[in-house]
Amino acid sequence: MIIELSEEALAFGAAVREALAGAGGDRLVRDAEHDPAKREIDIAPVLGKLGTWELAPRADADDLEAAAAACRAAGYWGIPYPVAQRLARPAELDADGLLVVAGPRPAAAVAGLGLRWATVTLDERRGIVTAVHPDGPPRTASFVGGLDIVSAGPGGAEDLTLGLVLPCWTLLGMLDRALELACEYVQLREQFGQRLAAFQGVQFQLTDAEVERAGLEMLARYALWSIQSGQQAAVADALALRLAAIEAADVVFRVAHQLHGAIGFCDETQLSWLSRYSQPLRRLPLGLSATRAALVARAGRRGLDGLFNE
Amino acid sequence: MGPGASALRAELRGLIAEHVPPDYLGAFTHDPADLEIAQRFCRTLAERDLLCLAWPAEFGGRGASVWEQTVVREEMWAHHEPRGAQYMGVNWVGPTIMRHGTPEQQRTHLPAIARGEVIWCQGFSEPDSGSDLASLRTAARPVAGTEGGGWRVYGQKIWTSYALMAQWCFLLARTSTEEKKQQGLTVFLVPMSAPGIEVRPIPTMLGPHHLNEVFFDGVHVTEADVLGEVGQGWQLVQEVLSFERVGIARYARCERLLLAAPRVLGDKWESLPAELHARWARMLTHCRRARLLAYRVISLQAAGTVTPGDAAAYRIAVTRLDQESAEVLMDILGLAALVADDTSGADGAWFRGEVEDHWRYSQASTVASGSIEMQRILLARALLKPPALDGIAQKVGS
Repeated sequence: MIIELSEEALAFGAAVREALAGAGGDRLVRDAEHDPAKREIDIAPVLGKLGTWELAPRADADDLEAAAAACRAAGYWGIPYPVAQRLARPAELDADGLLVVAGPRPAAAVAGLGLRWATVTLDERRGIVTAVHPDGPPRTASFVGGLDIVSAGPGGAEDLTLGLVLPCWTLLGMLDRALELACEYVQLREQFGQRLAAFQGVQFQLTDAEVERAGLEMLARYALWSIQSGQQAAVADALALRLAAIEAADVVFRVAHQLHGAIGFCDETQLSWLSRYSQPLRRLPLGLSATRAALVARAGRRGLDGLFNE
Repeated sequence: MGPGASALRAELRGLIAEHVPPDYLGAFTHDPADLEIAQRFCRTLAERDLLCLAWPAEFGGRGASVWEQTVVREEMWAHHEPRGAQYMGVNWVGPTIMRHGTPEQQRTHLPAIARGEVIWCQGFSEPDSGSDLASLRTAARPVAGTEGGGWRVYGQKIWTSYALMAQWCFLLARTSTEEKKQQGLTVFLVPMSAPGIEVRPIPTMLGPHHLNEVFFDGVHVTEADVLGEVGQGWQLVQEVLSFERVGIARYARCERLLLAAPRVLGDKWESLPAELHARWARMLTHCRRARLLAYRVISLQAAGTVTPGDAAAYRIAVTRLDQESAEVLMDILGLAALVADDTSGADGAWFRGEVEDHWRYSQASTVASGSIEMQRILLARALLKPPALDGIAQKVGS
């Protein structure tokens, strides 16, 4: 396993991040909430121009890494557009993207988009979305809508792996940014005659967040390798990644909010937007406890693959 | 890691299975036979050129890759470090002598370490100098030429592991008090048999041999015992710390024990609370996370781009993993963690011993070799631009 993404993938991620900055950067999520149609006007074409939708992450290992880097870049700006879900699209089903769904009321953050969706469940059953029902205003629902699904049969193991892994890369990008914002803020804000960054109680909160973020980054890379090398345990590896991603998000956003104080709740700070729009990624298709339970069910008595499997 | 690494892992596992009893809990027990096992195992490794694998060929090594060295660290720590205390000589005492020792010092020390015949201890910490090592006060006072020259060492070291077993001490002492506290320090290579050295073991929950006090009462040392230059001690210690950046592969033992648990518990595994299964799976995820963070540091180090912050993030993750996984393992054993259970058989007894030992030893993981607070200070420094830090973070590691 090579630990870093390829040079090409890193370059592609940087290009996506730069292009989104040029298209509005932090403003994109605000504009989309105000006028949801802007997602398809302002965001999708920018990514399309770079060739994002032509990537074939299932067929090509380099494209998989490029797709992961693109998701991370989209997360950095808190883009409320299903980049990871579109990149996970199944080749042979007639769909623009893939959603992992669970529970009696399947849902995903794809309301108000004119896209066709395939689905896959935790037990690898595939489906096709026939309708998306918006649940509420984006301000509180973050574009999540309930889904009507018709079954398309079994055989969705590969779908499930990719559908779990790529959104974790988006969340990683959000955590990159949230921590960056927290580090910047504590170096600006002064109280008691010194910057917040000089207080060890503040520094140690940042280090807790960074350990989670850095660990998540490594597990995200591992999950890509697991897909690329066709590991039998790829679904378990993806669930382990999702578990770490949700835990990391809890810590990083808690720390970022705490260190921002009241200003972090205000619409004028990007943290408040990232925090709200991280919700679908953290809760769907499974929250923390359900992800743990799914991992236990997958891992069985064997556990995760490691150095000492029996 | 490459095919060489896999072959090496298999070779090491074969040797451990052949030469180390399955219920071995390391060299540091009240039974001298356990030390003897470690000493024999070191000689066995040395005969196969596996002890000093990482050393360059001119000093009797194989010039192994960083990944082969990683395999050695993982396999040794997972199996209760059957090299005993000798890992220190191999990992950093030898390499430091290679770089800074005189030809005479190299002839004296390197072959002995490479043959697996010598144990070193590290004379750094003092009662009033723990994390703030540079404040140490053990003094080497000059002796007039007419009285034999050199220095006489007075002072006390503490928390010195393996001091009773050791033949040599890598001693950091103050030769001058006139400059900054980091200056005026010198490393001496001192035989533990020298007159004036007294070792007092400290009974601890970690087990015997881990912690000792070492008293120096006028121990005579000469120019020939100085490693590097007089006054260069702090730079040498920084180098030692860089050799130990990744440190022991704690994640390997955590993973081995966690993965063994379902087999050892047999049918009892299924009747554990679901929440405990979930904690177990979470710990396996954290094992993988710590291992990958270690690999990242190793890879950055090989590329020459590692920063103290990278290493610190790994150390925080791995030491917390050590403690959290020990708690989960103790919970998995339940009552059996503390009281022998007739039904669990030899495998159960082995596992109980391992887990109980792991729990006790893990209590020190966030304290030993640079406390977790020091790691956090280093990581905070990496995250924040230096001018923002008015406090202690600027003074550490500089």
